[in-house]
Amino acid sequence: MSTALTEKPAATDSGRRLLRGMPWLVVRQHRTALVCVLGLTLLAALWIVYERAELVQLLDAKGWPEKDAGQPLDDSRGYRYITSILGGLPLILAVFIGAPLIAGDQENGTAQLVTTQSATRRQWLIAKLGLAYTLALVSGVVLSALFTWWWKPYRSVFLSDWIDGVIFDNTGPVLPAFLLFLTAAGITIGTLIRRVLPAMVVTFLFTVITTFVWDELRVRLGETRMFTYPMDTELPARYAEAYEVDRWVGSADGTLYGWGTCAEATEKAQNACIEKHGIVNDVIEYLDYSQMAPMQWTAAGILLAGTVLLTAFTLWRATRRPL
Amino acid sequence: MADTGTPNATSGSWALEARGLGKRYRRGWALRDCSFRIPAGRICGLVGPNGAGKSTLLGLATRQVQPTTGELRIFGVPVDDPAVMPAFAFLGQEKPLFKRFTVADTLRMGAELNPAWDAAAATRIVRSGNVPLHARVGTLSGGQRTRVAFALAFGKRPELLLLDEPMSDLDPLARDEMSTLLMAEAVERGTTVVMSSHMLTELEDMCDYLLVVSEGRIRMAGDADALVPAHALVTGVARDGSLPPELADHTVVETRLQGRQFQAMIRPRAPLPDDWESAEPSLEEVLLAHLRSPDAPSLYTQGARVEAEGTQAA
Repeated sequence: MSTALTEKPAATDSGRRLLRGMPWLVVRQHRTALVCVLGLTLLAALWIVYERAELVQLLDAKGWPEKDAGQPLDDSRGYRYITSILGGLPLILAVFIGAPLIAGDQENGTAQLVTTQSATRRQWLIAKLGLAYTLALVSGVVLSALFTWWWKPYRSVFLSDWIDGVIFDNTGPVLPAFLLFLTAAGITIGTLIRRVLPAMVVTFLFTVITTFVWDELRVRLGETRMFTYPMDTELPARYAEAYEVDRWVGSADGTLYGWGTCAEATEKAQNACIEKHGIVNDVIEYLDYSQMAPMQWTAAGILLAGTVLLTAFTLWRATRRPL
Repeated sequence: MADTGTPNATSGSWALEARGLGKRYRRGWALRDCSFRIPAGRICGLVGPNGAGKSTLLGLATRQVQPTTGELRIFGVPVDDPAVMPAFAFLGQEKPLFKRFTVADTLRMGAELNPAWDAAAATRIVRSGNVPLHARVGTLSGGQRTRVAFALAFGKRPELLLLDEPMSDLDPLARDEMSTLLMAEAVERGTTVVMSSHMLTELEDMCDYLLVVSEGRIRMAGDADALVPAHALVTGVARDGSLPPELADHTVVETRLQGRQFQAMIRPRAPLPDDWESAEPSLEEVLLAHLRSPDAPSLYTQGARVEAEGTQAA
């Protein structure tokens, strides 16, 4: 009788001994979300590999880079879908993983259930945050690495500039850092609001606002440079990948005037204006492609610092206030 | 060393000991100046009206709430020390469980999170209620869910079991079944139980120790057997429509004037006048009188009160 009773739990244990204690609990609790995010990551990863192979084949057929290949990604549905997934991933992680992570347990009372077993609240929170951050990191690193591998060698045939969000935010260290930051933001908002649905709504709004702010911030991450060249000549080819922030006209003594200073109605008036100001040069203010990597690391640094602050705040608050 | 204070001869040690315990929320004090002790091995009822501070007290004991003043110990270990965690189990009012877990998953959680997990006991409690192990918790009835929550609590092998109105949402049949289960398990293990409840009859049947809380303060603490006989329900003739002055010789809990008669719940300190009729009240009458009169002087039976230097902390 008693052996029959004790056999059962022993049998279920032996199958999945990989995870024990608190990690087992959080993985068991969030396994649906885990499978969904990892599944989406895998799908996007395979799709990138496939699309890259397609692109390579197409470019080879057209004799690129000796011959111009045009813009083969212009009407590529795959490229659009993949960039949508990458663009939506921060929102998915923040709203569906971050926001309900602690708030769900607060709302259902299971926070109380778990923290009145023999493990402390801090152990529980660390396991929870560890799960969410691991998920964000794995997803971010895998997709960013693959997308960078696709984009970097063939960047001249891509539609977007390197400074555009779709490239800058989805390559190098930025994507994992962005995912971590927004996941942390979702968790913090959830912990403060303590209810799943309002937390998800606020996190959604926070993500949208962050995206707008980030768009403004991105070009300010690097120091712009100036290049002066004689008026009415071609910009040297080495600036083909530079991102033009602004354009000026300048006189011989170096004084800069706005690009439209001498935009007059007639050519005569225009020439008179140029004469008057002594304008002889065109000037571009630009961010060079070589600045991309430092800018991306600066961006990642800012986002990771934000993640650390939010995590510290969440841990501090959740261990002091009743859950 | 008052901390390790030798309890009286009948009990092994103190299961729960509070000194100057207080908790203030933004709205004010939820619990104030609480000093009491509960001996090990007792079934203690925690009684009080809604908002009296019962849940706050249980929250403090289960580390959900941090005290503003004073300290609380479970079997001598301060509750802010994580080492106290395996010693108690808690069953909240809502009996929260993971709804998408199966019963087996829920028991596995108990095994994963508690070093002294008793899988056999937990499985036995679940099986004896015919709760299928592979059913999801969300699909169980209220009684079955309570049984699973009990299994989780007893599987932890706690020395102290804290229950916040455990039976309030159960039908009479399930309530009877759960009470039987609770008493059987607690007696078998010698578990100390502290349970808050509104059901005075339930308390009378199950509890041999009482802690009465009202407006954030302890009103009575001690043996149920000693608390009740300390009271007398007296009736007599009122003089000129007011209470007789002889009442001042006793500790008065509650008085009532009805025409030419008065009725009073008192704790006699002197022989009663011959013209008063005296009766021993029931536990329910004593509790109700105390709950109705929060200003009545508090009563501790021997051992339930903590030394004075402890109470001065607040």
